[in-house]
Amino acid sequence: MVEVFAVASGKGGTGKTTSTVALGMALSDRYDVTVVDADTGMANLLFHAGLSDAETTLHDVLADDAPVEAATYDRFGLTVVPCGTSLDGFRNADPDRLRDVIAALAEDTDIILLDSPPALDSRTAVLPIVLADRIVVVLQPTIPAISDGLKVQEYATTYDTDVAGLLFNKVRESESIEQVSEKTERYFDGPTLAAVPESERAREARRAGRPLLAHAPECEAATAYRVAAESLTVRDGTAADAADRFQSAVIPESL
Amino acid sequence: MKLPRGRLDKSRVVTDPRDTLADVLDRELTGYAVFESQETLLLDGEGRGVITFTDGVPVLTYHTGTDRGGPPALADLAIPGPYHVSLYTLDAADLESAHEATDLRVPPGMPAERLGGDPALADSTRRAAPDERLSATDDDAAAAEDGTTEQSAVEAFLDDAEKIEAIKQQARSEARERAQQWEF
Repeated sequence: MVEVFAVASGKGGTGKTTSTVALGMALSDRYDVTVVDADTGMANLLFHAGLSDAETTLHDVLADDAPVEAATYDRFGLTVVPCGTSLDGFRNADPDRLRDVIAALAEDTDIILLDSPPALDSRTAVLPIVLADRIVVVLQPTIPAISDGLKVQEYATTYDTDVAGLLFNKVRESESIEQVSEKTERYFDGPTLAAVPESERAREARRAGRPLLAHAPECEAATAYRVAAESLTVRDGTAADAADRFQSAVIPESL
Repeated sequence: MKLPRGRLDKSRVVTDPRDTLADVLDRELTGYAVFESQETLLLDGEGRGVITFTDGVPVLTYHTGTDRGGPPALADLAIPGPYHVSLYTLDAADLESAHEATDLRVPPGMPAERLGGDPALADSTRRAAPDERLSATDDDAAAAEDGTTEQSAVEAFLDDAEKIEAIKQQARSEARERAQQWEF
């Protein structure tokens, strides 16, 4: 089985990368999980996964300078494909190869999480959403984050990608998240998976270059990510289905 | 709201108004910003939003399309970007008479909360605000001068089904248009 999720938000600063790694680690109790930094223009997964000195990254694979195996690293119970941060690396990368990279990774894993760019303004930014089976939308309980999240959902569903659920992040105590999440769900095609509280532990973990679930596995935020992982029902798909999907037209004929 | 024109400092398209608010705070700019949403098809998308600043801290807001000021003007502006933003600098003295319009006032952190969606930036803005701008309720990050909490502002936004449907529809037509352009 394999299912590809794009972890997406229309807006930066929602804690998308922290969420991608935390969800991945929480899911790795039950599944074989691969996490890919698909934000090739502003990569930062490597800093979250203690891979800042990784020699070969997705940039090299997308530039056809290395096979995908050379850019995969086993960290914290996950298979991690980090992306480099250099401008040259970004310039030389061919985003269309991402499709083949995912198809290759799909042969050997249960779940692929794509840490996606927080934007919808270019082909490269939208590609991970197009390639995924479903998206997980990371939201803060603010008006701009929710309206940008709605845009992400509409792009995804237009491109035939479903919504797996919503993840509220950086929720402050003063925010009555139950009412907000209930009202938000009316407009989204997926349920709220969890509400993750704003957390000093998450900031510490980021500074230490370690995932939250390794740094403070018992904190409230880490617990919320495990709740999210529990709420996510992973669909069965075969590696061949995934490969087909990535090799054939990704936009439905009706467009 | 009548403002002297001032000196044009910057004029550009931004995807996130948060960046403008952070830049203005960082540079302690005194003057005003004009936000014009590029999503003109949306409800309330017509017209421009104006925010004035003293030393980087927001003071007044006004929306030319709806003729509303204060917190309601921020609600009118809270639609997805990108925005075209023009920043103008003024001497503090030039803003004095405009700033007498107390009905257009917003609590210092509110634009960062509602337009920028960044509670941390709102905290920094409140820290930079002079004491007399911080009412007892605004001290509590959740409450504003008009009694509207950030939470009820988010809920009011979510209760506006028509506006949300317009946002979704706009996004769908944009996505279809771009699918061809991007050759997916």
